[in-house]
Amino acid sequence: MVFGAAIHRSSEAFWQPAADIYRTRSGWLVKYDLAGVRTEDIEVTVAGSQITIGGFRRDWRLEDGCSHYSMEISYNRFERTLELPCDLDGAEVKVEGRDGILLLRLICQGEKP
Amino acid sequence: MSNADNVQILPVLPIKNTVLFPYMLMPLSVGRKSSIAAIEAALATEEKEIVVVAQRDASVESPALTDLYSIGTKAVIKKMARKPEGVLEVVLLGVERVVLIKIEQQGIYQTARIKPLPLPQDKSTEIEALHREVGELAARALELIQPQAADELRRLTAGSKDSVKLVYTLAPMFSLDLDKEQALLEAPTVAESLRLMHSYLSHELQVLELRSKIASQAQSEMSKEQREYLLRQQLRAIQKELSGENPEESEIVLLRERLSKADLPEDVRKEIERELTKLERLPNSSPDYHVTRTYLDFLVELPWKAATEDVIDISRARQVLDEDHYDLREVKERILEHLGVLKLNPSAKSPILCFVGPPGVGKTSLGQSIARALGRKFERLSLGGMHDEAELRGHRRTYIGAMPGRVIQAIRRAGVNNPVFMLDEVDKIGYDFRGDPASALLEILDPEQNRTFRDNYLDLPFDLSKVFFITTANTLDTIPRPLLDRMELLRLPGYSEEEKVEIAKRYLIPRQLKETGLAPADCGITDDALKAIIAQYTREAGVRQLERAIGRIARKVALRHAEGHTEAVTVTANDLVTWLGPRRFSPEQRRKQLPAGVATGLAWTETGGDVLYVEATLLPNGRGMTLTGQLGEVMQESARAAQSYIWSHAEELGIARDLFRKYGVHIHVPSGAIPKDGPSAGVTMATALASVYTKYPVRVDTAMTGEITLTGLVLPVGGIKEKVLAARRVGIKRVILPLENKKDLTELPEPVAKEMEFIFAEKIEDVLNAAIPQLGEHFAARRAS
Repeated sequence: MVFGAAIHRSSEAFWQPAADIYRTRSGWLVKYDLAGVRTEDIEVTVAGSQITIGGFRRDWRLEDGCSHYSMEISYNRFERTLELPCDLDGAEVKVEGRDGILLLRLICQGEKP
Repeated sequence: MSNADNVQILPVLPIKNTVLFPYMLMPLSVGRKSSIAAIEAALATEEKEIVVVAQRDASVESPALTDLYSIGTKAVIKKMARKPEGVLEVVLLGVERVVLIKIEQQGIYQTARIKPLPLPQDKSTEIEALHREVGELAARALELIQPQAADELRRLTAGSKDSVKLVYTLAPMFSLDLDKEQALLEAPTVAESLRLMHSYLSHELQVLELRSKIASQAQSEMSKEQREYLLRQQLRAIQKELSGENPEESEIVLLRERLSKADLPEDVRKEIERELTKLERLPNSSPDYHVTRTYLDFLVELPWKAATEDVIDISRARQVLDEDHYDLREVKERILEHLGVLKLNPSAKSPILCFVGPPGVGKTSLGQSIARALGRKFERLSLGGMHDEAELRGHRRTYIGAMPGRVIQAIRRAGVNNPVFMLDEVDKIGYDFRGDPASALLEILDPEQNRTFRDNYLDLPFDLSKVFFITTANTLDTIPRPLLDRMELLRLPGYSEEEKVEIAKRYLIPRQLKETGLAPADCGITDDALKAIIAQYTREAGVRQLERAIGRIARKVALRHAEGHTEAVTVTANDLVTWLGPRRFSPEQRRKQLPAGVATGLAWTETGGDVLYVEATLLPNGRGMTLTGQLGEVMQESARAAQSYIWSHAEELGIARDLFRKYGVHIHVPSGAIPKDGPSAGVTMATALASVYTKYPVRVDTAMTGEITLTGLVLPVGGIKEKVLAARRVGIKRVILPLENKKDLTELPEPVAKEMEFIFAEKIEDVLNAAIPQLGEHFAARRAS
């Protein structure tokens, strides 16, 4: 049975991870809340002043015979595009995972805060 | 993620009545076993993907492939929670459009082999135009549903160049039918989906515009009413503040209280309840409010059932009547008879009496003493000069200032429904274009109709049948026949001298002394003095002038007392001049001598009887007959009949025939200024004519009355008592009456009857024989020869 088909809008067909953006001495540091996402499933593209992170979160079965009682974590494809106030072409990108947070460093040449 | 050939196998979630579009978040409560199994299967995968397909028919519980549309949407389960009763709540996010290639049963749920079905991303000016148009239409439509979201939508559509996304985002916002939504999802090209969306939206917009128009109309009507209501509430609050209570409510509460206490017939109570409910809904500023309130006040106050209990004690009633009025045997007997009937049959109809008589004989006060004798309330209404029917019957409530009729008002004043109700001067009702009050009286005075008398103002039947109606009149001539028919006539003829003396001694003198503050011992008036007052200072059938004269004497005595001369005074006939001034009428009005051609007649007037002289004279070389003295038609005709009789009997009367040819005749009846009419002067005129032609004078001590016929018969007339009393007043002791009036002499008081000499005539000859002595001798001589 299907009840109460109330309708909500979503602007995209995938989920978006939360992100913090830091200004650093050498450029920018972006933190993404991407726990449970394998680094090989993530791809980052930089174009102009935009930085886009996309990828996949896959669930895995912890043990046999378990089933969902409730679910709040978003799985499947995610994508997030951020706009920074400077041109990022030629910037050096470093990706590092730490404790479920994905750290993305952007080192801009000749940029001094 | 899709495989290389883009084909996937995913669990199927069929949904009812709606379509999940890509980019759309849809919360769902899932209770169907098969659906729950499908969702659980999807949750067990890494990707949490599921295919959502709309069901063609919402009533099918376990749909097969043919029950499902072949194009659906791949979705990701974003959130999930289990609720009690085995219901699963999920939030689904539409990802992309897919086509179902094949469905397989997997336990209780189904899986589908699916392939993405993306719309070809083409661009054209048509798409561009449609895109903008759809965006604009959607914004306009949304403005009518959700104005605050419209601007946001405009920004969104303006910024987005992706027409597919636009259609998918807009589609769920308007509650489109399932087949329309599905058609949008299935549209093969971008242009097609935009076109579909455009047509749906323009239809939707029309409907919405119409709805909002209707709604705003209703709104404006409502807001006007609401405004009034609000103001009225404020007014009420102000009134409450000012008076400390709610005047309107308390009025209605008071009315209700009175209503509950009042003893009302059922139909009246119902009517009042109805009006009260109406009143409660009226604002007290409305003119109707006051009309209705006054009406209700009146209704509640009317004595619908209240009645005084009759005191049926016949000896007491007789005593009361005798105390208040002298003589009037006939009337008193009638009242007592009615009392007797009431005693045996308490529900008897009240009679409707009519007292006829000259002024001052006590008609009105008799009504009061009847009420006293019966122990009923007394109400009086003068009809004199009334010429508007509405005065009696009231105005309908719809008129401004409408009032109940005088009858109902009097009943309310009385406070009981069985008063003695006196309608004075019923002979002096007028009538004009406003209606005829006499006709309204017909209903009021008819015992068969007045049980349900309907006053225009009340508009409810009121029972007048318990009311004891008494009407009074001075003459019957002006009362319409139908009205006269309804009433029982009781004549109150004038009083004789003896009766007046009695009345003066019993009632008038004590009353006048009391009014001037004297003790009975302070002032005495002898019988002779009273007789002198009656004869020389008054001329009336009643006793009003007499009472005034006594009042004058009493005031003069009171003045003396006030000046300190406190000795008792006795008024005698001799010193009346000092008390009342010179005598105003003299018995000398009786002519000492009558020349030939003058006869004494008796007339009945509204003020009693009167003596009048008929004068006839011959006019040498004159012609015909002249009649003067304001004679009415009947009287003129009876003069002609008298002359014709004399002329035709000239030989027997010893009259030379050529007298009629050579002389004209003139008849005059003083006083010339007073109109006279009626047939009762017939014998008098015949006598006067016989006297003038024979030159024999008429006896001065003889008066006469009677109608004549051409053949010389004498017919009876009315008002015998008044006429005899008038003759006696001027000192005439011999009266010629029609034989048939002999029975009327019983009305006369004993002493009068004894004192007078009556001659009863059957033919004119008898009259002439008695009135003209010489003619009598002539007749005797003729008989002898």
